[in-house]
Amino acid sequence: MAAYINGIGLISPQHTTDPALFLPDVMEYTADFLQVINPNYKEYIHPLAARRMSKLIKMGITSAKIAMADAGCQMPDAIITGTGLGSVEDTEKILTSMNAGEQLMNPTPFIQSTYNTISSQIAITLQCHNYNTTYVHRSFSFESALQDALLQCEEKVIKTALVGGIDEMTDNHLLITRRAGHWKMQPVNNLKLLSYQTPGALAGEGSAFFLLRDRHSPGDYGVLRDVKTFFRPKNLRITEQEISTFLSVNNLTVSQLDAVILGYNGDILFDTVYDQLGSGIFSNQQQIWYKHLCGEYYTSTGFAVWLAANILKHQYIPAAVKFNNQPVNPLRQILLYNQYRNTNHSLILISR
Amino acid sequence: MEELIEKLKREVIEQLNLEDIAPEDIDADSPLFGEGLGLDSIDALELIVLLEKNYGLKIEDPKDGKKIFHSIRTMADYITEHQKP
Repeated sequence: MAAYINGIGLISPQHTTDPALFLPDVMEYTADFLQVINPNYKEYIHPLAARRMSKLIKMGITSAKIAMADAGCQMPDAIITGTGLGSVEDTEKILTSMNAGEQLMNPTPFIQSTYNTISSQIAITLQCHNYNTTYVHRSFSFESALQDALLQCEEKVIKTALVGGIDEMTDNHLLITRRAGHWKMQPVNNLKLLSYQTPGALAGEGSAFFLLRDRHSPGDYGVLRDVKTFFRPKNLRITEQEISTFLSVNNLTVSQLDAVILGYNGDILFDTVYDQLGSGIFSNQQQIWYKHLCGEYYTSTGFAVWLAANILKHQYIPAAVKFNNQPVNPLRQILLYNQYRNTNHSLILISR
Repeated sequence: MEELIEKLKREVIEQLNLEDIAPEDIDADSPLFGEGLGLDSIDALELIVLLEKNYGLKIEDPKDGKKIFHSIRTMADYITEHQKP
């Protein structure tokens, strides 16, 4: 099972929209949550179409178009999107209006509020009538989209797939989920995220789209080899077994990994899982982290895939994402391991 | 009437999020749909909501919509005729 990453479009709280650049600088914020750096959407979306779109939909279409252009692809065989929250801003507009006793609903937020709006708006923009699906499985959303693309490439149903992970954060959603203990209770400095040693993560948002092909072509970043998800492992030993089995299926061992990207998000209640693996089975591997750059959100592994793909292409690990310093040989095998509140665990293997 | 027309232009721009259009760009007599501003059926729904929310006017017969929403001026005429003092 494999698909080649041939084009990438990423909108994030960092300067990532230009595929030719790989983290030229690192943005430092002191904030409640990390917001994306909005590109000039008018360069990508016709103003008449854009006027009905929320920021999320603009992010999705723009990052999808960047990925398509990066790959030189005119029309994908499939558009597959993962989103944990979907168009939450539009949904909130409707609910807020209803809650206020409003009888007259504006149609636009209602129409745009469904989860699959992003994927369908991309299809409308590209005039793409091919396979179009959206996965909404919290922190498995983007991984499910990748799995779908991989399976369809494997079965030779498709040759190209535009696959994305996208989520936005709103003040209202932040407020509600903060009460549930998901986020830091006060603004924090993203580059000092691990120094706070408090419960709650630093929230974020982003949109990452990838043009995957079933075969090698010029300009490939790397190969997406496999994706696996597992739910609520009983203990660390089970997690280690899942990792070991996943690597074994792909004819690899931990020692053959050149780098491991871990989903540290600053929440001391759950970062301990990474600490234990980092000082255990991954102790000899180069460890990388990234959520201090993009924040935590359901599809943040899209940022991690962007990071891994660029590390493989450029054969360089930016200092800002190094968690430790191990001697690194040519970078060939990178494993992404993420867990959201020790519930949704995922593994993504990307090779050169 | 002219005051109402200018107010309507501003409200339509805001309601339909016509970012790149200024009130002076809208000809009060030009068609809103098809040509002119090039609005579509979703915009028609937005305009129905605008009339009811801002002016308390409910369009009972959908057939009337075509005439009422022909232009900014026809909207203003309808408001003037039907709004209670």
